[in-house]
Amino acid sequence: MEKQTIDSMVGVLDARMNRQLKQYMDICARCAICKDACHQYVATQDMKYLPARRAELLRQIYRRYFTKAGQFLPALYEAREPDENLMDELYESTYACTGCRRCTYYCPFSIDTGWITSVSKGVLIAAGRGNEMLGQLADAALFKADNMDVFDEIIVNGFKDVVRELEEELGRPVAIPVDKQGADILYVALAGSHSIKPAAVIFDAAGASWTLSKFEAANYGFFFGDPAKAKLIADRFMNEAKRLGVKEVVITECGHAYRVAEMFYEAWAKEKMPFKVRHILEVIDEYIKDGRITVDPKGIAEKVTYHDPCQIGRNGGIYEQPRDIMHAIAPDFVDMTPNRETQWCCGGGGGIVAMEEFNDVRLKSGGKKVEQIKATGAKLLACPCENCRLQIEELSKVHDLGLRIVPVMELVAEALR
Amino acid sequence: MSDVTPDLELDLKGLLCPMPMVRVSQNITNVPVGGVIRAVATDAGSMADIPAWAKSTGNEVMSAEKVGGEFVFFVKRIK
Repeated sequence: MEKQTIDSMVGVLDARMNRQLKQYMDICARCAICKDACHQYVATQDMKYLPARRAELLRQIYRRYFTKAGQFLPALYEAREPDENLMDELYESTYACTGCRRCTYYCPFSIDTGWITSVSKGVLIAAGRGNEMLGQLADAALFKADNMDVFDEIIVNGFKDVVRELEEELGRPVAIPVDKQGADILYVALAGSHSIKPAAVIFDAAGASWTLSKFEAANYGFFFGDPAKAKLIADRFMNEAKRLGVKEVVITECGHAYRVAEMFYEAWAKEKMPFKVRHILEVIDEYIKDGRITVDPKGIAEKVTYHDPCQIGRNGGIYEQPRDIMHAIAPDFVDMTPNRETQWCCGGGGGIVAMEEFNDVRLKSGGKKVEQIKATGAKLLACPCENCRLQIEELSKVHDLGLRIVPVMELVAEALR
Repeated sequence: MSDVTPDLELDLKGLLCPMPMVRVSQNITNVPVGGVIRAVATDAGSMADIPAWAKSTGNEVMSAEKVGGEFVFFVKRIK
């Protein structure tokens, strides 16, 4: 590899190096407990999907350029100068990772492989080896946001269509406010109407003061592994929230989007936002408990189970609110086993659903989730994450599960009195 | 666009955004440079997503129309 490319990669690693990453680089005991925690390794038994191996590839570069032993005796200390073979291995191991962090939960040292792969993505991008599809999706989102004079009318007309469809479906008008100065809530949805309609019905029933963002929550800059692009994408709705003077930003049922807005954005922006960020399920749970909306406790009569998306569950700490919601509307709600912190990743996170080259491992790695769903006996699955829904829809087809997979808020809207 | 014969037809009905854009992107190299994909989607978000993808990747959306409940795109591969 050219020296300039290697310098650029090492520069990224240096810039991302902090106490936390240095610890992860230095302390792996190679106990391989993570092998039983990773859905991809369990499904394939392929070393490149072993969490410790994913990290080891970055460690080899780290030792070569950041440790004296690796600089002077690279062969002895397993230090490695990047070459095309290493970059191929790093690419496959890194972009296949769904960032579920189940390995971190089981690691005796809590080594955060998700964090390590995010750094590896930065190193790959510096070498011109970032995933092309995720890069295109991130650029398209930025282009759309930067050219709102072109897209504003299309987007607002789309919202008007949703209002018309809702009136036809419900037989009564439900308003979808846009650009409402001083609203309490800025609701950030996905590009399609499926993430707008149920939220609009629930906000309407709760008498909430809300406004719909013109920007979408999904953030392919985050999946791509470029924090600068990810921040630029999130800037759009964060700046909109500041301009409108809202009290809170509410993110739709999209796992990574919630995590970007709630957990990363302020650090990227280096400023405290003048509003709080919540997931829509936190808000709905509060509405039910405060009596702002009334739901039929037998509203969902069918047996239903719930999938914990990694980004809002294990990585976001939202476990009980969705379960409280389900208990409030579905008498035959049954949890999967294992669940909460130890639930299995469905295999569809980290942007992998958009990367065709990983289709085989993606579908194989959903095996544990298929077993879990089958064991519940439910044919209805509540799932508050778009990537998980896409993955489980496909798993349902491949394994002939006959599942109906819906957002939690859609079930709540169905159970409203 | 009835006078254009597409090189590839994509049925994207039922796919939610951004998957219509992803499928167009994955298939653009399956047509020759100058070739055309006709894609039919049902997610309204694709009306902004697919033109934005085309502009940012240097391809061309020849037309984007709403026909009934469907969104019909003619996308030309430029490079």
